[in-house]
Amino acid sequence: MRFSAALGVAMFILAGCNSGNNDQAAATADSAQAAATPAPEAAPQQPALNDAQIASIAVTANQIDVDYGKIALDKSKNPEIRKFAETMIKDHSDIIKQATALATKLNVTPETNKTTQDLLDGQTKMNETFKGLTGDAFDKAYAQNEAAYHEAVVNAVKNTLIPNTQNAELKSLIESVVPLLDHHLQMAKDLAAKFK
Amino acid sequence: MKKFIQIVAVCFSVCLILAGCDNGSSSSTVESTGPQRDTVIIKLMAFTPDTLTVNKGDTVVWINQDIVAHDVSHFPDRAWHSDTLNPQNVFVKVIDDSSSYFCSIHPTMRATVLLKK
Ligand SMILES: [Cu+2]
Repeated sequence: MRFSAALGVAMFILAGCNSGNNDQAAATADSAQAAATPAPEAAPQQPALNDAQIASIAVTANQIDVDYGKIALDKSKNPEIRKFAETMIKDHSDIIKQATALATKLNVTPETNKTTQDLLDGQTKMNETFKGLTGDAFDKAYAQNEAAYHEAVVNAVKNTLIPNTQNAELKSLIESVVPLLDHHLQMAKDLAAKFK
Repeated sequence: MKKFIQIVAVCFSVCLILAGCDNGSSSSTVESTGPQRDTVIIKLMAFTPDTLTVNKGDTVVWINQDIVAHDVSHFPDRAWHSDTLNPQNVFVKVIDDSSSYFCSIHPTMRATVLLKK
């Protein structure tokens, strides 16, 4: 009970802002969880990730792109970059809403895990890079990162999240995100190509 | 969650209202030759059907069944356009002219409404 409360708090922090210093709390909650629950209850063949972990990855991956979008709105004056960033913020926030609503309905508490942590570590590094850049240099780095990030997320969704998801509704929601991610990836590539 | 249910309820009511007052003043039979109503579903980043053929004066209802917001905008100049349609929102338009349209939020989403000859 106490562990799930701690996880809930960690998850809330992860979903809420990801401003860098939450890594400790998340990592602590993660290892506490690993120690507390040696095996998922009644899992016949153990998937690499359970649905609670997949929900956590989904929310975190979307939140990171919302956060990148906010940085872009903060730093960029380029209208195309700003419009793209606004679309990222809106779309990925919409996905988070749907994922959170479904997790609540299914009684799944998102569970932080190694992949969540890797995503957050990547974000911390990227934020450092963004910090030192302005003007065209920032715009270029943002567009290129959006292309790379969406490519990585599309691959993770197709090859890891979808095959491992057990609940049919959660699987269906994640599958329905793929065409959107493909579209974002294409837009990001087109945008990045303008900053050669 | 509660809000979501409310939105769904509102949309459902809108659909009922739309379905209810279909033929307006002209006729009440199903086989009416008056204005017809057609539906375009917005889902998985696409308008379905992507080409819809209607009679002049028919009404088209776009329903956003996708997981993110979209809009319905005349291509390419947005001469007419819907508001941003959040998931489950609908847009209704009487069609007087053939027209290509797109989603201005996701410009790869493109479709057409054609007038019957
Ligand atoms: Cu759209």
